[in-house]
Amino acid sequence: MDELISDEELVTRFPGHTLTRDNAAHYRGRLAHRLVINRCGDCGTWRHPPKPVCPACWSWNIVPTEVSGQGSIFMTVFLHQGPPAEGVDYSTPYPLITVALDEQEGLRFTSTVVGAAGDAIRIAERVELDWIERSGTPLPVFRLASTTAGSSAAGTSTTAAVTEAGR
Amino acid sequence: MISSRNPMKDKVAIAAAATTGFQPRNTERSRASYAAQACIQVLRDCGLTAADVDGISGSTPPAPELQTILGIPEISWFAEPVIPFVNQLSAAVSAVHSGLCEVALVYHAAYREAWSTASALKDPFRRPLSPGVSPGPETIFGGVGYTAWASRYMYEYGVPKEHFGYVAINGRTNAAANPAAAMHKPLTMDDYLSARMIRWPLCMLDMDVPVDGADAFVVTTAERARDLPHPPVLVQAAALGMVDRHEEDQTPSLRQHGQQVVVETLKAKSDFWIDDADVYFPYDGFTIITLNWLENVGYCGPGEAGHFIKEHWDDKTNRILINGRVPVNPHGGALSEGGTQGSGHVREAVHQLQGLAGERQVPDARRAIVTAGGFFFNAQGVTLRRD
Repeated sequence: MDELISDEELVTRFPGHTLTRDNAAHYRGRLAHRLVINRCGDCGTWRHPPKPVCPACWSWNIVPTEVSGQGSIFMTVFLHQGPPAEGVDYSTPYPLITVALDEQEGLRFTSTVVGAAGDAIRIAERVELDWIERSGTPLPVFRLASTTAGSSAAGTSTTAAVTEAGR
Repeated sequence: MISSRNPMKDKVAIAAAATTGFQPRNTERSRASYAAQACIQVLRDCGLTAADVDGISGSTPPAPELQTILGIPEISWFAEPVIPFVNQLSAAVSAVHSGLCEVALVYHAAYREAWSTASALKDPFRRPLSPGVSPGPETIFGGVGYTAWASRYMYEYGVPKEHFGYVAINGRTNAAANPAAAMHKPLTMDDYLSARMIRWPLCMLDMDVPVDGADAFVVTTAERARDLPHPPVLVQAAALGMVDRHEEDQTPSLRQHGQQVVVETLKAKSDFWIDDADVYFPYDGFTIITLNWLENVGYCGPGEAGHFIKEHWDDKTNRILINGRVPVNPHGGALSEGGTQGSGHVREAVHQLQGLAGERQVPDARRAIVTAGGFFFNAQGVTLRRD
């Protein structure tokens, strides 16, 4: 049903984001809990953020395609301050990660990590896509692969103390 | 594709540079007033009047606004490039070389605003008309991008935070000799390591200082500059480098972004490089940017900048002196003179080459390299030499 909402409503669901004809499919995908990335229907190249044409072969046959959400952490930031956002309290440094997605070398997506904190969030750790809601709109986030169902050993790190490194 | 073609080489000069100096607080002045002050000063330094100016390059405040602030009667060319400042400068240099104008007034006013410091909002005159809506914190667009790449730098090269700290200390030591600088209090490594964390792994002292103030320049033909009071500083080459996928989180790697393009371009178009440079100005809006510039221009290999700095640290003066000779950002850089998006680096380069750098003067400085900006849309550089 979310795929059928009007452009007007789509834009109102993502305040602060710049929606365009080229990234609308990505945002419609979010409403359906699908992480959608533009892929070239001819040469197969993935590209994010969305472009109107394939930068690799200049084909206009762009096919917004769901990714697996599997990948590994490429970069990390812990915000000690930042813009106000529902559910974000910077008194515990808020993690940002750029994830190298498995679909293609160099294809990356940036968001936060849930269910882990501090030193558990490290470059090269495997992650999986998850979804949370902010102000009633789905937000794609990641979860450490070691903390997903079936693996309880590392799953208690949610409350891990902030390390001396200041993370 | 990088070309060595460079017909403008040494044909255009920076005739003079002036600054208002920089304040790390919300002053009770407008951004436009600083730009006007620096512009009037640089024109007077050259013995020029408003009627001599026929080109304007600057974006803060916009060039059309500056013309009417200063009552410049007629101009035939103007530009409002995005920062950092080599963009404003190179637009003017190419306009003079091509004949779009003959005397270009080039300026940049830094101003404390909401994007650089939340405390700017305490000044009602600095509040935006319509406050923006944040898309949320889950993005590394803008300055956060350097923090993310700093994490990658530490991971790939296994270097400690101290390597970033050397850059901050060098800037602060140099700023002590610069009356225009915002920050003068000396800095120790302990100060650096205990500074307030803003976005791990970068702390407050890894980020440039938000300031009020402005720099201004007169750019004209080398011939005309020779008739003006100060020694002309010739522009050898300028470059604004970008690679594909230059978005903050898609940038290929620490060894493949805009800086490498800038370096290859400047080397192809200039007669000299680091072995013959007397003073070097790597951008330092974030400490990580400086480390990467030192590596990319060729002083050392990837990940080795911290070790290089240690090796070339002058204990007597507590700063970098490459081969005991070449200072790095002798004005204090963006970290300690103030965040000028590169105009401070260019201004100090001009003053060094003109012999006007006061107690910071590098003896007989003849050649300078400025590498401005960061990794993404904003890697830039210019090579300058004394006439």
